[in-house]
Amino acid sequence: MTKKFINPIEASEIVKSSIKKRRAKDSRLRLYGRIAIGMATCFLLFMFFSIFTKGYPGFFQYYVTLDIKFDRERIDPKGDLSDTSLYEGEASKIVNESLFSIINPKGRKAKKEARKIVSSGKDVRIAKLVKNDPSLFGTVTKVKFALDDDIDSFLRGYINRDTPESERRISDNVIAFVDKLSEENRISYEFSDYILQGSASGNPEMAGIKGAFFGSILTLSVCLLIAFPLGVATAVYLEEIAKKNRITEIIEVNINNLAAVPSVVFGIMGLAIFISIFGMPRSIPLVGGMVLALMTLPTIIISSRAAIRAVPPSVRDAAYGIGASKLQVIFHHVIPLAMPGMLTGTIIGMAQALGETAPLLMIGMVAFIVDVPNSVMDPGTVLPVQIFMWADFAERMFIQKTSAAIIILLGFLITMNAFAIYLRKKLERRW
Amino acid sequence: MSDKANDFKTLDLTVGDVFSKEARLKARNVNVYYGDKKAIDNVTIDIGNKEVISFIGPSGCGKSTFLRCFNRMNDTIDSCIVKGDITIDDENIYDKKIDVVPLRARIGMVFQKPNPFPKSIYDNVAYGPRIHGLSENKEHLDGIVEESLKRAGLWEEVSDRLDSAGTGLSGGQQQRLCIARAIAVSPEVILMDEPCSALDPIATAKIEDLIHELGNDYSIVIVTHSMQQAARVSKRTAYFHLGKLIEVGRTKDIFTRPQHHQTEAYISGKIG
Repeated sequence: MTKKFINPIEASEIVKSSIKKRRAKDSRLRLYGRIAIGMATCFLLFMFFSIFTKGYPGFFQYYVTLDIKFDRERIDPKGDLSDTSLYEGEASKIVNESLFSIINPKGRKAKKEARKIVSSGKDVRIAKLVKNDPSLFGTVTKVKFALDDDIDSFLRGYINRDTPESERRISDNVIAFVDKLSEENRISYEFSDYILQGSASGNPEMAGIKGAFFGSILTLSVCLLIAFPLGVATAVYLEEIAKKNRITEIIEVNINNLAAVPSVVFGIMGLAIFISIFGMPRSIPLVGGMVLALMTLPTIIISSRAAIRAVPPSVRDAAYGIGASKLQVIFHHVIPLAMPGMLTGTIIGMAQALGETAPLLMIGMVAFIVDVPNSVMDPGTVLPVQIFMWADFAERMFIQKTSAAIIILLGFLITMNAFAIYLRKKLERRW
Repeated sequence: MSDKANDFKTLDLTVGDVFSKEARLKARNVNVYYGDKKAIDNVTIDIGNKEVISFIGPSGCGKSTFLRCFNRMNDTIDSCIVKGDITIDDENIYDKKIDVVPLRARIGMVFQKPNPFPKSIYDNVAYGPRIHGLSENKEHLDGIVEESLKRAGLWEEVSDRLDSAGTGLSGGQQQRLCIARAIAVSPEVILMDEPCSALDPIATAKIEDLIHELGNDYSIVIVTHSMQQAARVSKRTAYFHLGKLIEVGRTKDIFTRPQHHQTEAYISGKIG
């Protein structure tokens, strides 16, 4: 021994003198932590504030109330309420007549402009009304119609009436008509029935997320049904059954690498395999779900393996010791105990899949599809792709609709996560 | 006896009488390897019918490894290789035709750390009979659970809360629950791997009493660190050192007149 022990009094002096420095380090660490959390919270709040203030108006739009004379012969010439009959009817004309009776447009140009005031979805709206309630025929009823998006933007103040007419999207005539309608209290700002019930549309005032919403649900269902069982089975096999050797090591490395592969690559793979080789249709939720399943598999496998590894070995010993077979140990003990962890991984994977756009563009889910998909084989799109498409449009009103759709997507995500957390808490009931 | 014994070269290593007149389990020239490392070196020993035998020895001497050979628990460790013969009623348990599931039902095991399943007390005990299909109906199963808990000396303490968590019991109670779980499948042999090392003296005393009683019905092999425990519960004692079986004999003899100098050194506390 080269150095002797320091005597206890000296030692305690040295310890005391270093205390101040150590305390300072402790408090600095605490401060850094608080700053980091504070900043993260600020960003989060800012993001939510920005999305909600921008998106909130997207749930509302301007409507005009018109008195519609429900003349059966003109609306439903065949009298059977069939789609063809209603299509042949003159619903649009009736709406315009009602509108003209209020604003009295003079001349062809003014009339042409006046026809554009009410959204082009007016005939569909009337068809829907009479289908739901044929007793409307023969009455004169007040009906609300969406206003065209340019007028909506004007009413929201995005279009200034002092701008010279040539630089404005709406003419002086139209402004006069709108003023006239306002005077008669026929214009109202209300919760939009299109945002939730409408589907993709080139007319911003009629665009909604219904199609994309159901597309997302179908796609995610396919994704979950494929990825969860496959992921759990893979994790169980690798952890409980496979011998640890070179091959399993290579598989493990590859799975970890797959988790870091950019999602668009999975899209290209889906395009090459599912669509080119297997000849599956494009734009369908089935293919979308399969591509997303491939993308989420590594996440689910990795977290499931971690969950299985966290099951105490003593439980396995106990089960094996009493004569349980491998299958019984796995299904009676390992999987139930690992399930909360597996679910956590699945939630993360599903949340990723829900927000994914790039791989779905590759397999054509970006197509303009008006119909709501009824099955996984119907063409459809998903919420993030819908948001992506809307963000690309020039019309002012799409900005609000885009933000509104983002809010809906966030809501969807939060609901999904809340359900999963509830499920996890329920399964986690430890003895 | 000596003629038969000469067949085995272990005799030049092991002192004392490794054979038993009414042997249930027979281990012959057992070697165990973990990868390249030899953990058990040429051990031969008999376990008699309804006999309590304890394995003692310093840490890392291989006594637990050897114990786990009897119900093939070492199978779960990939790198572990067992060579030699172990028979139960003259049936080789390492025969390829032998299925470990019925084997482990015949040879139960209690582990070092109490490891009840995270289930109710009832389900813990009923698990074995359920997976092996031992009960005909619910009443029968109830009977098995009650009898097992009674034999494990736990019935009085838990009969009113069979539905509560097995993991909510005290350490000693948990270990007795594990014993109840092991005897619920009617084994012939119970292997105990340091069953009291995680328990306080009072719980230990209860388990030791229990081992005494169970010794009337089962063959029990107990691995222990405590020489006092070995002396209290077992009729025979085997002393292991560095993977070798050094000495086997009646417990009384081992602790009072050890024949091998290493045994003596361990008993007197010089190694350990």
